[in-house]
Amino acid sequence: MFKKMEERHSLWIRIFHWTNMIAITMLILTGFYIHAPQTFRLFGSMDTARGFHFAMAYVLVVGVLGRVYYAIAAKDAKNIVYSPVEDTKKLPSMLKYYLFLADDHPYYGKYNPGQKGMYTGWLVMAILMIITGFILYKPHLFLGLSGWFGGFLTVRLIHYIITWLFVLTVMLHVYLDVAEGIPILKSMFTGKIPADFHHGYHEDEA
Amino acid sequence: MSSKLSRRDFLKMCAGSAAVISLSSYLAPFMKEAVAAGAPPVIWIQGASCTGCSISLLNTVHPDIKEVLTKVISLTYHPNISAAAGDLAIKEAIYKVAETNPKNFFLVVEGAVPTGAEGRFCMVGETENGEPIVFEKLIKDIGSKAKAIINFGTCSAYGGIPATSPNPTDCKPVSKVVKNVPIINVPGCPPHPDWMVGTIAHVLLYNDLPELDSFGRPKMFFERIIHDNCQRRQYFDNAIFAKTFGEMGCMLELGCKGPYAHCDATTRLWNNGNNWCVGCGGVCIGCTEPQFPAWPMYERMPDMPVGPATSVTADQIGLVLGGATALGIAGHLAGNIITGRIGPKKADEAKEGEA
Ligand code: HEM
Repeated sequence: MFKKMEERHSLWIRIFHWTNMIAITMLILTGFYIHAPQTFRLFGSMDTARGFHFAMAYVLVVGVLGRVYYAIAAKDAKNIVYSPVEDTKKLPSMLKYYLFLADDHPYYGKYNPGQKGMYTGWLVMAILMIITGFILYKPHLFLGLSGWFGGFLTVRLIHYIITWLFVLTVMLHVYLDVAEGIPILKSMFTGKIPADFHHGYHEDEA
Repeated sequence: MSSKLSRRDFLKMCAGSAAVISLSSYLAPFMKEAVAAGAPPVIWIQGASCTGCSISLLNTVHPDIKEVLTKVISLTYHPNISAAAGDLAIKEAIYKVAETNPKNFFLVVEGAVPTGAEGRFCMVGETENGEPIVFEKLIKDIGSKAKAIINFGTCSAYGGIPATSPNPTDCKPVSKVVKNVPIINVPGCPPHPDWMVGTIAHVLLYNDLPELDSFGRPKMFFERIIHDNCQRRQYFDNAIFAKTFGEMGCMLELGCKGPYAHCDATTRLWNNGNNWCVGCGGVCIGCTEPQFPAWPMYERMPDMPVGPATSVTADQIGLVLGGATALGIAGHLAGNIITGRIGPKKADEAKEGEA
């Protein structure tokens, strides 16, 4: 018996999702090694770790630019960018659902306001990482920018704190996806999801 | 142009690894020539400083450069080495020179500008009727008339030690006090004599400012990063880190500011080419940077203040938030299972649905 499937993620969305995921994971791992090579013994030398870090930095730049372009060109932005007006209105019902104060929630579109908030936050974080990263990478070239941030040590602290934010939000992201159902997880590979997938809302409310 | 030294060669000289020969002594004859041909006078004044920059400048073994600086260039006033003192110094050597050469003299400033208590933390002279002249007024009066201001040392350039918190005298860098005059910053605590001589030589020889970076420093001396040219760089690349002073290894974890510090001490070396900070086992404290010395000198990453007299490390914040996230996830997972959103109950539902 075949289930009726609908398209959930286009090929481009999936490509960008996985290259960005690989880039960010590698950046986090190499980054922690660069931060504390004696504690976080993952790589052979600073040379290797930094080499990977900078290579993945470029992958991230391309991935972020590509994803932003796609979001605009394919009119996908409305799906993933948090709208302070629309999405804030939907927030209470979502929070109630996640805090088990309600059994279901209205249909929000492709993503709920929390997800949209997180994805928008990631864009901001990624851009901040790219800016602070390149300041650290080419200190002389971006001297003026470093002053704008309040000096290199602050730049470094920002770079490091956002790393932690990435670790935490990625943890949340993976958990929430798995918790919502395996078909959601699968859909990021196949692009498709069963047409009758239950998103946690009642049909009659939708 | 009187000098036979082209600007291109000059820059090459300055930027090259000059430990082999002394830049100062090489430049001396050219400076003599430029002065003979009528280069603008130079006035040197000191505010909230320790005089270390002047001492560093005079620490060139070559006798010729001392002669150049004290006698030959029209260094009309220097607080430590001029014969003029008191009224003579203030009236004749400073104000008169500034007034008779408007926009045609260079003002060298050493030390920050105390602005608290109407500048009275630094009095440099008095007027005819006995009123004190404070440094803030002096620098406003004559700084605005200068062709360019050359800040020697981190204090006049960025505030440095006197402007570091709590800064009771409200010290400020020169750029915050005098506006609309070109400023060259030659930071360092102290600056290397070659940086000072080279900068003065450049303005005298070419009557023009050298190319500056975004923090106002001459690129010919401040374009390189300590970390990239460090003699201990190999240790960094191979992730060998010193845990205590005296150990071999890169000293990043001891707080070395090499990755953020711009200057050429790695190749120029101090004390007439003898040694430099990391060469004698110290960390780079980044004395040429605007944040010096407000950053923790011997720590890799500063703590973050979270309340009065309390600070935490980024890792502590990360771990606490990480714990909270893990707890949140565990709680939500438990809730999901109890309410049957996932787990056996949901599987049952699904079966019912299919049936
Ligand atoms: C999600 C993205 C990223 C993450 C999670 C990440 C993480 C990290 C971490 C944890 C460190 C060590 C921080 C420290 O101890 O000071 C680091 C250092 C660094 N990162 Fe990133 N980073 C990211 C993106 C980038 C990008 C886009 C660049 C651009 C080139 C970059 C360049 C650097 C540089 C130059 C350093 C310093 C390396 C050194 O000490 O030589 N990073 N990164």
